[in-house]
Parts: sequence; C-alpha cells; structure tokens
Amino acid sequence: MSQVIACYKWVADEADIRINADLSIDLSKAKGKISDYDKNAIEAAIQAAAVLGGKAVGVTFGTSDAKPSLKDALSRGLDEVCYIKAQEASQADGAATARALAAAIKKLENVSLIICAEGASDTYSRQTAPRIGAFLDLPVVTSVSKMELTGNTLTAVRKLDDCLQTVKVDLPAVVAVLPEINPAPIPGLKAVLAAGKKPVHELKAADLGVDLSPLSTISEIKGYIMDRKNIIFNEGDLAEQVKALVAALRKEGVL
Amino acid sequence: MFCKVAGIFVYSDQADIAREIIGFARLNGRQSVVLTLGEKDAQALQNAGADKIIAIKGESEMIENYAQAIAVMLKDESAELFAVGATPRGRDLAARVAGYLDCAMVSDIAAAGFEGDQIVCTRMMYGGAVQQTEKLSGLSVITIPPGKFATAQGEASILSLELPADNRVSLMETAPIVKEGVDLSKAEKVVCVGMALDKAEDLQIARDLADVMGAELGCTRSIAEERHWLPVESYIGISGAVIKPKLYLSMGVSGQIQHVYGIRDAGLIVAIDTNEKAPIFKAADYGIVGDLYQVVPMLTEALKK
Ligand SMILES: Cc1cc2nc3c(=O)[nH]c(=O)nc-3n(C[C@H](O)[C@H](O)[C@H](O)COP(=O)(O)OP(=O)(O)OC[C@H]3O[C@@H](n4cnc5c(N)ncnc54)[C@H](O)[C@@H]3O)c2cc1C
Repeated sequence: MSQVIACYKWVADEADIRINADLSIDLSKAKGKISDYDKNAIEAAIQAAAVLGGKAVGVTFGTSDAKPSLKDALSRGLDEVCYIKAQEASQADGAATARALAAAIKKLENVSLIICAEGASDTYSRQTAPRIGAFLDLPVVTSVSKMELTGNTLTAVRKLDDCLQTVKVDLPAVVAVLPEINPAPIPGLKAVLAAGKKPVHELKAADLGVDLSPLSTISEIKGYIMDRKNIIFNEGDLAEQVKALVAALRKEGVL
Repeated sequence: MFCKVAGIFVYSDQADIAREIIGFARLNGRQSVVLTLGEKDAQALQNAGADKIIAIKGESEMIENYAQAIAVMLKDESAELFAVGATPRGRDLAARVAGYLDCAMVSDIAAAGFEGDQIVCTRMMYGGAVQQTEKLSGLSVITIPPGKFATAQGEASILSLELPADNRVSLMETAPIVKEGVDLSKAEKVVCVGMALDKAEDLQIARDLADVMGAELGCTRSIAEERHWLPVESYIGISGAVIKPKLYLSMGVSGQIQHVYGIRDAGLIVAIDTNEKAPIFKAADYGIVGDLYQVVPMLTEALKK
C-alpha cells in the first residue's frame, strides 16, 4: 500500500513568548502547538492518501516535548505517526531537520508523496521540502495552492510572485503546500478518541544513521519589543472616543 | 573557473533584487558571479556591477530544475556563498541547492555581513518576536529579501553555459498574475482590514474611510488568501508586504505577530477592535475598543468635517 507522508513540527506558540527587559526571551510559559500551516499539510496528505488508496503517515522530528503532538496529529485523520524523538531537535537547523526527516522517510516503504507546509511558524525558513527532495533526490514542487492526482501523476498549481504555474510530476515527489490549499478542519470528539488507538512508531537519533548536528552556529538570540504609545480612548461614549481619536491624529499631523 | 577568487554567486528571478545582491557583494569586497536563466535576463543585468554573468542554457524553463547542476558548479568554482533573492522561486532553488550541497543556509536574512571567512546573518524567528544571529562557515546559502542593499554599477561580461536540467517536474502552463493592488510599501497612509468583516461587500466601510483619509487599502493574509477578497499584494506581514506609512489604521485585525512584523516601521499605528485584549493594542499608539461597524462610519463622518 502506498504511503503519503505529512511532515509536521511541534513548536512553541509565538503568542506566548515573553521578552524580558534585557531582551532575552522566556519560552517557559509558551504552550506547544502543531505549527499552524502544518495542519494544512496534514489535511492535504489525508486527502491525497484517500485518492491513492494508501495510508497517511505523519513524520515529526522533535524532543520529548513533542509527545502531545502525536495525539493531536492523529486526531486530524492521519493513520500513523513516526516520531523521531531526539534532543538534537532543539538545536536543529534546516540541514539537520531535513536529514532527520529524510532518513526516517527512507525507512518507510512505498512512499508515493511527501507533503510539507510552506514553512514552520517558529523559523519560517521554508527549506524543509526542497532539502528533503535533494536529500532523497526526488522531484520537488513548492508553493502549491492546488493539487490533483490522476493515477501516478500529480498536477499542481504553484502560486509565485508573478504567475501561476501549472506543473506535472510523476510520483514519488515532494510537495510544499500553501495554507490556502485546504481549510484544515478542527477534529471532532470521535476523531480525538480514535487517535489514542492509532499506531505511533518511535525512532531515536541512533536509528537514523545521519548526523543531526546543525551546520550554522547561533551566536545571539534576542527579543523584539515594539515601543508604542498604547493610548486607548475609553472616556465617554463612542462618539466622544472617535472625536478624541480624530483630535489626536490631527495633533500628530498625520491626517 | 569563472572567477579567480572565491566569490559570491548570485541568483534572483527579480532583476531588482539581483542588483541589490551584487551591491551586497561589492560592499563586502567580494567578486560576484550572477546566474540567469537565458540571455535576456543576463543582458538586463549587464550594467549592474557584477564581475561575470552566466546565462544558463538548458532544457527547462524552470530555474529550480537546475539546482543539482548549480550545486556542482558552486563546488567546482570554490564559491564562498550562494546568495539568492527571497522570492518563492528563489527560496525553492536556494534550499534545493543547499540540500544537494548539504550545507548551511539562512533564509530571508534581515542583515548579513562577513567576519573574516564567516558569514554573519541576522533573521527573524517566531513571526518577528525574536531576532537570531547565526554564523556560517564554508560554502553556504542565504536568501535576501528586497530593499536590503544599495545597488552597484559597472559592466559585466556574459558567458553562456549549458547545464543539465532535472526534467522530472514539467511546466504545463503559465498564467501571469496581473497586479491589481497598489504598492503598499510606498503608501503614506494605509487602512487595514482583518477577518472581522462578515462579507466582501463590507469592505466598502473600509474603502469609505480610506477615501476620506487619502489612504490605500490593505488587509491581513487570511483576507487575501483564504477569502480572496483583496489581491495578494494587499496583505501585510512577514509573508506579505512590509510597509512604512506615516499612518496605519486597522479594523478587526487581531495583530498576530506575523502581521505586526509588516507595520513595525509605521509612523503611527491606530487600532479598532472589539477585543480589548487583542495583541494589536500592544502594538498601537492609539486605539478604540469597539465594533468596527459602528466606529468606522463615525470616524469617516468625523473626518469629512
Ligand atoms: C508562518 C506564518 C506566516 C504568517 N504570515 C502572515 C502575514 O504575512 N500577514 C498576516 O496578516 N498574517 C500572517 N499570518 C497569520 C497570522 O498569524 C494571523 O492568523 C492573521 O494575521 C490573523 O488575521 P486577522 O487579524 O484578520 O484575523 P483574526 O485573528 O481572526 O482577528 C480578527 C479580529 O477582529 C476582531 N473583531 C471581530 N469582530 C469585530 C468587529 N465587529 N469589530 C471590530 N473588531 C472585531 C476580533 O476581536 C479579532 O481581534 C501568518 C501565520 C503564520 C503561521
């Protein structure tokens, strides 16, 4: 049976990041989440697997913190998840991430399609799909806003800056989908309950036989703070608030 | 060998960005070798100050399909860096070349320079909440967004080079995207709408305000890409337009970090939103907590006076 892979990443929610006075960052209060656009990649894999009559399998590279992602990903409709559990994930760059994912995918049989999102919400590097393609020497199609499978052929519409391209490729292939590819539904209660019974395959770094150390060295990380006036007009009724706003904007000389 | 010392190899599908990357090479005292697909693009860059232009000839119209051949060439030429314009095509090519070389890559740099042999790059993480500096050694790849470096001048010689293409992905059809929107990066005032709008017709409320203000209309990514109510070039943020108007006014925009990244350099930020806890108020100079369907028409009337 053919397998359609969805790569996904468990990330810290950027909305929960706190920035200290010295601009150091505090992730201790940040909840984890499946990277926003990876939900569209998961949904695309499920739809593709249904057309191909195969299985939809999630592959994720994460530390032990990524464990809660398994049930979440499976409740979205994946049949299985392959979890590369490695501490190296916390330091991984684009190269290490692609090596880990590609090495795990290589261990799976009959892989017909590998689907990634446009980019992860933490790094937003947009390297994973092309790098996996290079690593496995498979054809790659990025910026996909629509795709259709007929037999063994994928037809995709790529949304670029200046044009829409329609391209064709025979499977197996690697695809990076844009979030507009599908609406990525929120899983229902039944799906959440069923997720607990689905298989998870855990791999360790040593099982992969590739180097997971990053190639770039991080020398500084600092937070960004917006320094703004933060004045809310809340005196009186709406009409008065609007008046106060107009007065303020006139005084600033921006109208 | 095309260049006598290890240099910067450059590619962008947008000539303006290619010119800026050549400027970046010059600024850092490096030679630049520009890759183009075909002679026409090569001629367009002939006066841009590069040391050499290589016009790639081959069986594919897609530059991405030459990734493996370009990776081999970079190695053979002892290139120091492959610097690519950060556009959808460019990011794809760059990451594929980095993949074939299995080398370090930094995407969408905010700043880049050299410290000895090392390349030092700064980039945004977490949608712009965090700035990270990375050092790269040896042949590396970076992608550079537009507007980062000054252009250079000077004539370059053009060399035509046949490269093998990977034709597994074939191009069936190309439909140009006609830019319908305005260039928001040059707008003095911008009114921005978010997902709070119930239906496309309600955009009129924002248009009316924009008209009295003399502002352009922008939106969040979801309005352009999920609802398709405004052209793609109208959306503001880390994956869309980065703007620096004197005045930005949002209505029904929650102000998630990825959006706010695009308005950091705005002179004044004004927000209208029903949710007093919406992050946009933390990014704003002035705000009104209220229903846009009430507040905005009142504001439009007030400004008519
Ligand atoms: C990797 C990545 C890249 C991204 N890049 C971008 C980008 O470049 N640009 C971008 O915009 N987004 C981007 N996003 C998406 C971003 O995270 C947010 O999802 C998006 O900006 C939210 O859009 P919004 O504010 O229109 O909608 P919402 O977040 O749904 O906000 C709607 C707001 O309207 C308010 N509201 C509701 N009804 C009313 C009313 N009647 N009157 C007034 N207010 C009302 C609500 O309180 C809320 O604050 C990116 C996301 C990721 C993961």
